[in-house]
Amino acid sequence: MQSKNNWKAWLYLAPVLILLSVFTFYPLINTIGISFLKNYDYMTQTSDGFTFENYAIVLGLQPYRYMPIPDEVTGELVQTPMYITDVVKFAIPNTAIITFVTVPISILIALAMAICLNSITSLRKVFQTIFFLPYVTNGIAVGMVFSVIFAGNSGIFNAIFGIPEPNYWINVSADWGHGMFALCFYIIWKSLPYKVLIFLSGLQNIDNQYYDAAKMDSAPKMRVISKITIPLLSPQVLYITITSFIGAFKEYDSIVGLFGTAPQTSPSRPNNMLTIVYYVYNTIGDNRVHYGSAAAVLLFVVILVFTVVEMQVSKKRVHY
Amino acid sequence: MEIRLKNLTKEFPGDPKKNIPDTVAVDNLTVTIPDGELVGLLGPSGCGKSTTLYMIAGLKNPTSGEIWFGDQDVTNLTPEKRGIGLVFQNYALYPHMTVYKNVAFPLPNIRVEKPRFYRSGEPVLDENGNQVYSPRKLTKAEIDALVRSTAKLVQIEEYLDRKPSQLSGGQQQRVAIARALVKKPRVLLLDEPLSNLDARLRIQTREEIRRIQKETGITTVFVTHDQEEAMSICDKIVVMKLGVQQQIGAPQEVYNDPHNLFVATFLGTPPINVFKGRMETDGVYIGSDKVLENTRGYKPGPVYVGIRPEGFIFGGDRSEFGMRVENVTVMGRDILLNASNPACTKPLIKAELSSEIKMEVGDVRCGIRPDKIYVFDGETEERLYL
Ligand SMILES: Nc1ncnc2c1ncn2[C@@H]1O[C@H](COP(=O)(O)OP(=O)(O)O)[C@@H](O)[C@H]1O
Ligand SMILES: [Mg+2]
Repeated sequence: MQSKNNWKAWLYLAPVLILLSVFTFYPLINTIGISFLKNYDYMTQTSDGFTFENYAIVLGLQPYRYMPIPDEVTGELVQTPMYITDVVKFAIPNTAIITFVTVPISILIALAMAICLNSITSLRKVFQTIFFLPYVTNGIAVGMVFSVIFAGNSGIFNAIFGIPEPNYWINVSADWGHGMFALCFYIIWKSLPYKVLIFLSGLQNIDNQYYDAAKMDSAPKMRVISKITIPLLSPQVLYITITSFIGAFKEYDSIVGLFGTAPQTSPSRPNNMLTIVYYVYNTIGDNRVHYGSAAAVLLFVVILVFTVVEMQVSKKRVHY
Repeated sequence: MEIRLKNLTKEFPGDPKKNIPDTVAVDNLTVTIPDGELVGLLGPSGCGKSTTLYMIAGLKNPTSGEIWFGDQDVTNLTPEKRGIGLVFQNYALYPHMTVYKNVAFPLPNIRVEKPRFYRSGEPVLDENGNQVYSPRKLTKAEIDALVRSTAKLVQIEEYLDRKPSQLSGGQQQRVAIARALVKKPRVLLLDEPLSNLDARLRIQTREEIRRIQKETGITTVFVTHDQEEAMSICDKIVVMKLGVQQQIGAPQEVYNDPHNLFVATFLGTPPINVFKGRMETDGVYIGSDKVLENTRGYKPGPVYVGIRPEGFIFGGDRSEFGMRVENVTVMGRDILLNASNPACTKPLIKAELSSEIKMEVGDVRCGIRPDKIYVFDGETEERLYL
């Protein structure tokens, strides 16, 4: 309105803008910058100039080094290019699997639980509290509990479901598949309370008259759920879908919680539980920040594309 | 189909902790709603009209009493099984569905009887030689035909692809009626269907409801707090007050012969003029004016006297009642008088008369049409017939 007073607005915004600049914008831009620097040294802050190489190496399109390997026929040592890093071998597939397995499954389970919780009248408050307890429980503590549940060959999980031996989930003898199963199980379980809470609050906002109207129209329960409840819950479903995808793409702390300090089921299978964010974190420790930055920027782009696609799809499907 | 409510009662338990007393929303209501008629449940807000309607619909369970549809006791039947079309006060259209989908929504839930045949083409017969039927769903084509014919009936064909939010109140109203009617229910229930519409649309839509009801011949219960609305379209009205039924009858009948003061004051625009009067051995007095003879020997005591606005006679030879004319408004063919009399329970008496009569401000005396004056007991407010 009055452009004279604009400086006042900026003044009010200043604290937020400064904090955002220091902790969000600067690191973001810096990360993008580093991701294009060849052989960047984090300690000395020096590099060999601009390059796309970091991206190519992270994606396995360019060899990350050459190894002298004896030729099969002649036995001569040949410099052989090595393409497949742990990022390509584990972090990317693991992250993709975690995302596309845990997000849909946890949303479906949370939806079913919220609908059931919403339909009971007595003790609802009690159940709501019980269901929400995991959310306020320390993640590392929960991880430790899960490592007990999946421990050894005769942990609680195997006992409850009567799974025959040998079935090791997370310890030394566990293979990739078992480890991934336990991990997804844990992530889904951990993510339920928040989703249930959001869905439940959405359900309680749906006007009862719609259900009365559906009753007058003799609609069976399943039809009411699929044609009325879920469409009217679509804003919450969209919100949960977007935030869950972002969260799953960035999965890191669940691996620490379940497997401890190294992202692997056993030392003989190094990095087999690696995710992209875990990899990014590791690169800081061993001075390969330029690779970590490239991976982080790639992840950022993937998340961005995903969110945009979800928003586009939602334009047709979400009813506010 | 005839609907009979027998001693229908609904109590809502209060909460002693929060000092909320029990509410008797509907008290011992006994009404018969004749087949094919449009019946209005009329009463002020909070008198239990909606509760009655929801009990008929099955969405609320009566505390006691019975509900009969024809010769079937439906008191304990779930709403799904009652075959009722209900139009909610704020329509409750599904906001995420198009008009078409809203209207079509009840149809996939319906099962129709389909005659069964053997593979050879022979009809399946039971031991008595009757055709055996089995239920089947409606086909897509049948659903489409029903939606379109109902849309045509309520004149919303142009809007089938719109969402409810893209419609005006009156159009939404008609969609709600279409959704209620599309499944060909035995009974149509309307809860204050016109209360969300503006004045002009209200008159138009109530005529529309009347037309649709006559065209389909469906037994209809219409809830309203607006007496004019009920009077103008209902075959019969049920006047309620605080959960208790006051009077049932054709609108004109109830208007002309109110059984108590509440009914008399609730019906009519402008409303009836009420005076504090006295029953004496020789007649009924307002102030010193004797307005009626005590032909039936009622005991002396206080009474209320109601005179309809159209009940005053000026320019004749009768002069039993006196009042002071405060102002005169000529409205085309009619004159509206505002007058005063100390016995009137309101500051102003309203009188309507033909504009051929010359009226001036000041004290006047007039006659009263005997069919427009009613006397009510001063305590029970019940009608005293004279
Ligand atoms: N669910 C309820 N719980 C408690 N009291 C109710 C409930 N529904 C209605 N009432 C009470 O019952 C009375 C009649 O309500 P209602 O049938 O909605 O009146 P109307 O439709 O005639 O305005 C009111 O006094 C109202 O407060
Ligand atoms: Mg009501």
